[in-house]
Amino acid sequence: MNRLKAFLRRAAVPALSVVTALLVGAIVIVLTDFEALAKIGSDPARALFWVETVNGKTVISGALGGVVNAYGAMLSGAFGDPGRIITALQTGKERDIATAIRPLTETLVATMPLIFTGLAVAISFRAGMFNIGGGGQLMIGALGATITAIMLAGQVPSPVILIAALTVATLAGGFWGFIPGFLKARTGAHEVITTIMLNYIAALVVFFALRSPTLRAAGSTSPVSKNLSPIVDVPNIINLPNIRLDYGFVVALLMAVAVSWLLFRTTKGFELRASGFNLTAARYAGMSAGGSMMLAMALSGALAGMGGGFMVIGTVGQLTLDLSGSIGFTAIALALLAGLRPSGVVMAALLFGALTNGGKLMGVQSGIPFDLLVFIMALVIMFVAAPGLIRSIWRVKVAKPAPEIAAVTPTGAPTV
Amino acid sequence: MTAAAVAVPATGEGLAARRALRDARIRGVAFAVLGVIAVYLATSSFAIPASFSLWIQQQGGDSAVLQTTVGTLWVVAAVGSAIVAALQLIRGAAFRWRPWLFVVIAPWLLALLANLLSGKPAILTNVIAGSLELATPIAMAALAGILSERSGMLNIALEGKMLIGAFTASVVSSLVYITTGNVLLATIVGVAAAMAAAGLTGLLLAWLGIRHKVDQIIAGTVINIGAIGITNFIFLRVLQHNTEFNSPPSVEPMRLPLLADLPVIGPILFSAKPYVYVGYILVIFLTYMIYRTRWGLRLRASGEKPAAAGTVGINVLAIRYRAIFFAGLISGLAGSYLSLATAGSFQMEMTAGKGFIGLAAMIFGAWHPIGAFFAALVFGFADAVQSLLSILGVGVAPQLLASVPYVVTIVVVAGVVGRVRGPASAGQPYEQG
Repeated sequence: MNRLKAFLRRAAVPALSVVTALLVGAIVIVLTDFEALAKIGSDPARALFWVETVNGKTVISGALGGVVNAYGAMLSGAFGDPGRIITALQTGKERDIATAIRPLTETLVATMPLIFTGLAVAISFRAGMFNIGGGGQLMIGALGATITAIMLAGQVPSPVILIAALTVATLAGGFWGFIPGFLKARTGAHEVITTIMLNYIAALVVFFALRSPTLRAAGSTSPVSKNLSPIVDVPNIINLPNIRLDYGFVVALLMAVAVSWLLFRTTKGFELRASGFNLTAARYAGMSAGGSMMLAMALSGALAGMGGGFMVIGTVGQLTLDLSGSIGFTAIALALLAGLRPSGVVMAALLFGALTNGGKLMGVQSGIPFDLLVFIMALVIMFVAAPGLIRSIWRVKVAKPAPEIAAVTPTGAPTV
Repeated sequence: MTAAAVAVPATGEGLAARRALRDARIRGVAFAVLGVIAVYLATSSFAIPASFSLWIQQQGGDSAVLQTTVGTLWVVAAVGSAIVAALQLIRGAAFRWRPWLFVVIAPWLLALLANLLSGKPAILTNVIAGSLELATPIAMAALAGILSERSGMLNIALEGKMLIGAFTASVVSSLVYITTGNVLLATIVGVAAAMAAAGLTGLLLAWLGIRHKVDQIIAGTVINIGAIGITNFIFLRVLQHNTEFNSPPSVEPMRLPLLADLPVIGPILFSAKPYVYVGYILVIFLTYMIYRTRWGLRLRASGEKPAAAGTVGINVLAIRYRAIFFAGLISGLAGSYLSLATAGSFQMEMTAGKGFIGLAAMIFGAWHPIGAFFAALVFGFADAVQSLLSILGVGVAPQLLASVPYVVTIVVVAGVVGRVRGPASAGQPYEQG
């Protein structure tokens, strides 16, 4: 009972943060619906909320109606239609089942890289390193996997390619994360600036690599790689047509367990957390703070890189310039939302995976650009980092923020 | 060994002095290495001609042509590097190397440019004037960064504030132009709105950091991500289908009377877009304000030792709020430059890291407005050369050229060129009693 209470107390701020952010998002949708708002003088009902039946279909319009449409589309995009799933399961037709459960599995597909990058962010934040280069590390990992797969194609059996590609992705991402860790430990260069710069560089490196005819899809004028699925593919969990969910998701869950074990059950993990919590004290206790920074950043980059590897050889199947999309930002939001706990990262990644996947349908159905979610994620970070705001908006007593969030940057860290 | 080695005190603050001496030696060796590289490059390039021309009066008029070979330019670069290396090694930690860096960088960049052009003639006036133009938003971002960090607040959010500034300037300027048809009024109102919007964003940052004690890095990240989200959202939802809201009148170059008639210098310095002149004025004005006024002294005290400043009755938090607000105004101005004076409209994520590059310029310039301005000029030069090379079709992959500013930023932030100390208390919350 007490544990449940403690959990609810802990979950109050994150839950209210997401709700508040979605509400602010709704306000933004209303305020930017100029076409509907223009009618507010002549026909306030139609301008705000209007339900009518056109050709036997219920159509909701108006500025507030736009919110209902947008968030409704997001929900059905993320979870599908429960009724349809049940009927499909009853009929037992493969194609029907696949279509019905596709929104759900696509949510898990979107969740997979978010777990990897969310864990990456959590592990670096725990060590006091503000790694916002998850997107770049993911891209470099994906590039490594792509190059490996194309180079090895036809020379060794596909399972070997699979393992080789994932190993290279992990190492490449780890290297890309190690650079800012090394620079911070040796020269004090602030990781926020270096990781952001490395994000831009990673995008340009991938762009540059995709110029090469070896990697680029045959006959394509846009910078996309060859389709990798004929060469190598991560095995699917459910064998149905059009379902992309594969064992990458299971590996992501295993990684959450591994990170949790590393952080809370090993000496190295203790050292990582100690240097994030209080750098001076950690140094005084004889720990190598610089070593912790480099290790945390390398592990962080490795996780992100592995996620990128699983995307290109698994769910996505090819390397594109927008592979990382808004994953880098989302990872920060969800890791902070999760209180930097690996178990929390999985839950928050499921939530944001649902939002990301639903956001695509929202874009298609209601014309609300996906970027609204980027804005909402910024708000989530803000509310989680400033629980005082939540307290004053909702007039509730909430638990104090976990000390590790309050102490993301180590005391006495060099200035930017 | 050298005079500097003798100057190191044997006891007491010896550690810092030894470290400074070690840094000085590393720097000296680095300059020497640059000299050797230049000599090496010179040996193979005497056959390649280099031709630079400078407009004397104005674009397209008479020009002065500098005819030489790439090898000669490398020799000049080698001599420059050797002189500075020798000065550095002889005078040790006491050597004020920062201004001398110009003697190394300028000939090096010129030789590098000539080498990349490999015989093709270039108009130097355009390259330098282009560098100035491209350096302006970076220099402004650096100035904004200096203001806030001198007051003790980290300002990672420059990027987001510039983006909001660029967006607001374009939309407001377009709207005013549609309603009044007056170009000057549209531009002024657009710029003012951009500054106000970014200033308010700055206040949000300060409020989160001071009132709610949100880690200043996280608060900055919130603003950077939020700015991308909201501007992309409105661009895609509204501006894309209503292009008239995103078609501001563009800001054209303006010849300053008399000054623009100066031979050679006039076309480079005084025939630019008004933003460049505002940049000059801001650099001088802020240098004066920070180092010569009571306000500046209080600002620096808040950033170095807020507790001491508080003890003598300075309202540290008020100073920080104001500094962040002014920094916001300047970054809004910088953002408006991007949409009004370069692209002609707002584009998604058009800042492309310029806010962060501005921070690098701030560090490279040792938190001093004039230093930051010259550092920004180096980044501007990199940009100008990049566009020149891509116009001339020189065989370097555009992606590699485009990554140069980012790589340089990392090198600068890592302090490879020379470590500098920023304001001591930047980034730490201050509890006002």
